[in-house]
Order: sequence, then structure tokens, then C-alpha cells
Amino acid sequence: MASQEKISVYNLADLKNTSDDAIPNYLNSLKFRQSHRLTDIRLTLGYGALAIAAACLGWDYKFGFDATKYYTAAAVALYSLLNGALTLWIFYVERGTIYEGTAPSSAGGDTIRISTHTKKNVPEYNVTVEVTGKDGKKKGKVEVTKPFTEWFDATGHFVAAPFQSVLATAVPAVGKADPKRVAGPKEGAAATTTTTYTPEILEALAAGTLGSETSGAEPKSGKKGERRRKA
Amino acid sequence: MLSGMANPRQAAAQLMNFGLIVSTAFMMWKGLSVITDSPSPIVVVLSGSMEPAFQRGDLLFLWNRNIFSETSVGEIVVYNVKDKDIPIVHRVVRKFGTGSKAKLLTKGDNNLSDDTELYARGQDYLVRKDIIGSVVGFIPFVGYVTIMLSEHPWLKPVMLGMMGLVVVLQRE
Repeated sequence: MASQEKISVYNLADLKNTSDDAIPNYLNSLKFRQSHRLTDIRLTLGYGALAIAAACLGWDYKFGFDATKYYTAAAVALYSLLNGALTLWIFYVERGTIYEGTAPSSAGGDTIRISTHTKKNVPEYNVTVEVTGKDGKKKGKVEVTKPFTEWFDATGHFVAAPFQSVLATAVPAVGKADPKRVAGPKEGAAATTTTTYTPEILEALAAGTLGSETSGAEPKSGKKGERRRKA
Repeated sequence: MLSGMANPRQAAAQLMNFGLIVSTAFMMWKGLSVITDSPSPIVVVLSGSMEPAFQRGDLLFLWNRNIFSETSVGEIVVYNVKDKDIPIVHRVVRKFGTGSKAKLLTKGDNNLSDDTELYARGQDYLVRKDIIGSVVGFIPFVGYVTIMLSEHPWLKPVMLGMMGLVVVLQRE
């Protein structure tokens, strides 16, 4: 699992990849049923294109160019078609999706689709979760932006608990499956630093990160403190 | 990067991405071949026999279709001699007859005599299908790398090593 290894905290790709790998691990441990549909279609398109190129290489090597040029022309056309379809698939259908799965029926049975991205030189994790109900109707979209510092310690170790808490708090479907990870919204805002905050500062902070905590966990209590991070 | 290998789908995707880079390059080359109708649409000049037009190492772009006119005297063509796999770039200096049966004689601009001595035993002239394309464009000197690599084989591991070093030292 990703949490065993240490990464460089200055490497944004490492931060994102480790976090991306942690999401399926977490959700599958909550008995989410992961769907590999998107990946499987991408692999089919890509390996189909590879097979055509390999066949083309084979007959070109064996029979020469002149004897096979019409087959080669057809192969080139088909290859561009498949490759184009693959590109469109990645940009318009997958859109950075790293997880697709269905919550256990005890937690509502919603289907969630998680895509993530990072912006260049900004150490923040942008997570978009699209939720679809059991009846196939879209239930909404949750967008969360959190700094990686919340779940990576200074030496680059991944810390699972705060990361899982972010997901469980932001996404009701996950929260229902893992209620003990759901935190009050103010707690999440305070967890990044070690100083104590007055309610005014917390309000200001909440306003500053507006939109990052759209829905999800009901604020159970206003109490703060209780760091999830081990010092 | 190696952590992804634990997941078969991720490993398959990484292998696929690598394969697609290689195969896209290959299919672009084949696409160019199909468009120009030439088995080798880009060649590197290996000798100085066409100086001052082309020097060793020049990169030539070929076109092998006769849409508007036949291959005629004065054109610089690339041909393969029977049973020899080295393409030769020379100019057509004589042509007898028309169509696919036309007999063509070639000569290097910088050579004293015509190419009859270069042709295969018993071959006194070229026909259209011996030609793999007429030169339609060139970039000076950029093909010299391939000449260096074939003439100094020890450069190959050196170059691979340097590329590897760059990859190791410069991570994204």
C-alpha cells in the first residue's frame, strides 16, 4: 500500500499519485464495489491500436512495402481512428477519473465517480466527486480542494486517517459508509495548523475556503481541537 | 513508479502508454510511406557523389507518385540496385521510351562516369519500379547522426548511456 513508502514532499506528481492510489484502497475497504469500466475501455482501445501496428509491422517485414501497401493504408487509417477515439475518451469521458464505484446498499447504494487534478506549482489536491443515485439520477457534484499537508507529514509519509476524513466529510455516500471518519467542518479547517483559533478567525478561514466544503457532514458540534495528526 | 506495478490494470496502462509512443512513431512513418507511395520516404545522403547539390548527411524527402508527369531527365531520384539494400541518390541523365518500361540512366553530379558500373551484374539501365522516389525537399546535415552511428559503432552505447543519464538525472 502507498502509505508504506516515503515520497518527496516537493514532488507534486508523487503527492497526487500517492493520494490517488489511496482512494481505491480506502473505498474498497468500505465495501464499495469498484467499477473498472472506464479503464477497461481505454485499455481495449489502446491495445487494439497496438495490435494493428504490430500486424502492420509483421506483414511489412515479411512481404515488403509494395506487396502490402493497401493493407498498410487501411491499417494507418484504422490506427489513427482508434488513437483518436482513445484521445477523445481520455479527455471527454474519463476526465481524470481515478475511481468509480458503488457504495454498499447499507450506505445508500449511490454510485460515485471521483476525479482529481492538481494545478502546476500549487500543492493542493482538487477532488471532484460526482454522485449518481441508485435510480440512475444524478445526485450532485462535490468539489473539495485541500492542501496535501493535511495528510502528508513533513518526511513524506502518507497518513491515512486525515485523508479518509476529508473524503468521508465531503462525500455523504462515503460518510454514511464510514461515519467515524466524518468530522465537523470547522475541525477540518483548523486541522492544518497548530495554533488555537477564535471563532472569528475560523469564520474568516471558512469564508476563504468557500466552495471547498459544499455539502456533506452535518456540523455535529462546533468544537475544534482534537488533532488527527500525530505530532 | 514501481508501486503501480502491483495493480495489473495500472501496469497494463503503463505498458500501453509506452507501446503507443513507439507505435505512433511507426505508424506515422508508414502513413508517410502510403502518402508518398515510397517504402522509404525520408533518406540520408551517404556519399558525396551529388555534390554540390547534396552533401553527406543531408536529409532528403521523397515523392514517388507520377500524378502530373513522368519521372524525366534532370530529376534527382533515389533507387535501389537489385539485391543490394543501399539506396543511391543520383540524377536521371538519359531516358529512352515512356511509361513503366522506359529505360533510365542515372549519374552522380560529382562522378566522372554514369552509373552503369554501380548497377547489378547484367543490369544496364533502371526502370521506373527500381526508383523509390524523386527528391522534393531536403534539410542539410541533420542526418549526419545516422552516418556517425553507422561508421563509429562504439557511439551507439555512448549515446544510449547519455540518454539514460539524462533520464535518470532529470525527472519530471
